[in-house]
Amino acid sequence: MALGEGRPTKRRPGSAVGGLPVADSRPVFDGDAVVGVRCTVCRYPVAQNGIPWCPSCYGTVEPARFATTGAAWTSTVVGIPVGERRPPFGLAYLDLDDGPRVLVHLVEPAILRTGERLRITGTDAGDLVAEVTA
Amino acid sequence: MNPMLWGVGTSDYGLQPEKRVEQLCWTAIAEAVADAGITPADIDAIIVGSVFGPPGVATRVQRGIGLPGVPMWTVENACASGTSAYHEAVEAVRSGRFGCVLVLGVDQMSTLFSGAIVPEATDPEGASSLPLPGLYALGAQRYVQEFGVTPEQLAAVAVKNKRNGLDNPRAQLRKAAPTIEEVLSSRMIAEPLTFLQCCPTSDGAGAVIVGGERGREGDLRIEASAMVSGALWDHRSDDVWGYASVARAAEQAYAQAERTPSEIDVMEVHDAFTIGEIVTLEALGVAPRGKGAELAPSGHTARDGVQPVNPSGGLLSRGHPLGGTGTAQIAEIAWQLRGRAGARQVARHRVGMVETMGGGAAGMDGNACVVTILSRP
Repeated sequence: MALGEGRPTKRRPGSAVGGLPVADSRPVFDGDAVVGVRCTVCRYPVAQNGIPWCPSCYGTVEPARFATTGAAWTSTVVGIPVGERRPPFGLAYLDLDDGPRVLVHLVEPAILRTGERLRITGTDAGDLVAEVTA
Repeated sequence: MNPMLWGVGTSDYGLQPEKRVEQLCWTAIAEAVADAGITPADIDAIIVGSVFGPPGVATRVQRGIGLPGVPMWTVENACASGTSAYHEAVEAVRSGRFGCVLVLGVDQMSTLFSGAIVPEATDPEGASSLPLPGLYALGAQRYVQEFGVTPEQLAAVAVKNKRNGLDNPRAQLRKAAPTIEEVLSSRMIAEPLTFLQCCPTSDGAGAVIVGGERGREGDLRIEASAMVSGALWDHRSDDVWGYASVARAAEQAYAQAERTPSEIDVMEVHDAFTIGEIVTLEALGVAPRGKGAELAPSGHTARDGVQPVNPSGGLLSRGHPLGGTGTAQIAEIAWQLRGRAGARQVARHRVGMVETMGGGAAGMDGNACVVTILSRP
């Protein structure tokens, strides 16, 4: 046996790489909208659920539904396997219209222009997936 | 008490799965204790910085050094864990809580990962398979489009640091420094970052002894130590990931030390990936926003430049044993300021700076950042 093989650790890699499952913390897409919360005071949008107050101004938050369209802030094409993902796969930060910034997988791995228009088309194994719109 | 750095010590850096994690620590501690000219009994407290432990590593280290009963705790602040432990030691001495603190930073990455760190499954972006090189690449790609940063400018950081590392006998990568072309033609990890623009998986430990003023030759003045946690990475801001947390810590450190960026003679900064050094130097005020990529190609940050950055080889060459990185950076600056860095010695070495930034939590501009400024009295 090679060094390091078969030695259990307390590392928590999640079920994607053979560990135990953990609660899903990713943004939720319900088919029509990204579901999160918005501050009732400063209108700050957040793609996380279950937070106690607005992380920007401490105001009260309420459930919100965000557009599936927006603009690419930056992107990359990953060349290494990560979890169950096999390279190459494309990732982008997508600033949803009047909504939060979310990390999305790209239907076609590519480097996008800043501001390029994207639309969330669905999810793949729970990850948000987006495509470039014309 | 004005906090002073009394001594430093480190293990070698590299893939060392055959060594016990305690052995890495004992090597570093023994060197630091001798360097500080103290006996183990002089140590009042132990603060450990480590990300992956293993849990209980501090106590297992204790088994070999015989300091049972002294106050001891372990802090985790991602890649800034070692410097966060150091910061707590500095504050404890400053406030008079302890007279002499042993800081230990350690991680043994090779027993956990065979390549890039597996992203944390509980994190929203980690669960979406965003690896750390991917997070840095997203910032790098933004810099490419916003400021016209070129692949050659990115690669120049790797060439500089890997060349520096050739003269560091404890560095992980010591064979030959790559050319710009070799850096760019190495395999793509996350566009635009190629393999040779990523720090290697590494094992290592470092120890730092912090105490009060005692008039001993070689002690270094700790002019400033600032530690900030991450803040919301607000999408209304145009800052790339990490910039704001480093800038917050730097602002505090410069204010404490009453210094400006141009007064820093030599620095060790967090170059886990080439873009990291570029963004960090902007956040530290060494270059204006969007101009950080010019520093390595112009020679400003070369070992014989105006402000040498990462003369040790940085994380890109020395390796990155997370908790062990901050203490490695502090050790290098201590050796540089004392004029004992051998072939790596820089010409001007009165004031030095260390910056460590840890991250990986989605939506935050970093997990934590520590900036410290030291000087020769």
